[in-house]
Amino acid sequence: MALVFEAQHAAVLADSREPSVAVTSDRTPPRPFRDLHYVRVISSVLSFLLFGVFGTILGILVVPLLLAFPGSRIARQARVRRMIRLAFRALVGFMNQTGCISYAFSGVTSLGRSGQLVIANHPSLIDIVLLIAFVPGAACVVKRAAWRNPSMVIAVHAAGYVANSPTESMIEKGSALLAAGECLIMFPEGTRTVPDRPAHFHRGAASVALRTAGVVTPVFIDVRPPHLSKAVPWYRVPVIRPHYSLSIGPDIDPGPYRERPAPVASRALNEFFKSSYASVVRTT
Amino acid sequence: MTHDMAGPEPVTQPMHDKDAIFNELRATLAELFELDPARITLEARLSEDLEIDSIDAIDLMDRLRRQTGRKISIESFRSVRTIQDLVQAIHKLVNES
Repeated sequence: MALVFEAQHAAVLADSREPSVAVTSDRTPPRPFRDLHYVRVISSVLSFLLFGVFGTILGILVVPLLLAFPGSRIARQARVRRMIRLAFRALVGFMNQTGCISYAFSGVTSLGRSGQLVIANHPSLIDIVLLIAFVPGAACVVKRAAWRNPSMVIAVHAAGYVANSPTESMIEKGSALLAAGECLIMFPEGTRTVPDRPAHFHRGAASVALRTAGVVTPVFIDVRPPHLSKAVPWYRVPVIRPHYSLSIGPDIDPGPYRERPAPVASRALNEFFKSSYASVVRTT
Repeated sequence: MTHDMAGPEPVTQPMHDKDAIFNELRATLAELFELDPARITLEARLSEDLEIDSIDAIDLMDRLRRQTGRKISIESFRSVRTIQDLVQAIHKLVNES
């Protein structure tokens, strides 16, 4: 019963709310049931179900429709990316309205520029959902497993997203996208990090940046308490509502690094990425 | 010297000779990775001794493609562990076709 009530309640609320341009969830006053743990457990399960069910439906029914309309390959891809963005926006809205998470994303308007490589740390399973939901038109590097997941494969393929392996093809495709003036999202850590352990940055992102990025913009993601991290199974829902803070660091110009040979330059740039994160996000 | 079965070797191009390949490779590695050429011996292991990892391998492939004018796939270098292995792999590639 509670399950049905929650779903309906959320639907009504979503309908009655004005479309909002602000990207923080803090505007809505907290409702009393919001921080009940069992509600969060239910809405977490529902969020996963929504992701799977709508992912599959959108992939099978909507993506072919979007691809059927005339336009260049780029235009078709852009349509699919827009669909994914709106779907993720809806999912994030649902998670926020049902008390699953709250979030604040500042400086989001500086993301989505042409030739921009957006890098982010990776504490949670849904980091990419938040980023795609708020960065217009971006491509991203997604783990290989998405191409084997029935609810994702059609969309990630049609959107022209890049698989993270093999490394060589990831670097080639990623740099080709940036060279073509697209915006690309990458997680230099490659995989989700374990909370309170120092992060390891792979040089893949630095290597792509050196090849073709016009600018690199870091996004710092902080989730408290840890949520959907690698250390804890997804169904272990935190008692306190997790809050996602996303903020933007100053642009990094890869230009000066290009004066040195690629292997030396990518090490130096990767060290710079690491040090920018070490000062903002808890790493130890 | 196990890869000498690739048929008659054209002697005009220097990259076809293993010593020449090694010398060229040493110069390339020293420049790309800012290494002391003395460290680059045939026995040196790429990852353990020279700290060359998979991302470096990609940068190195790019460079070798330009140097040899061949389409080199990273697959050909999967089993490479030492400089000796790398010289043999390049030797095999440039003498193919």
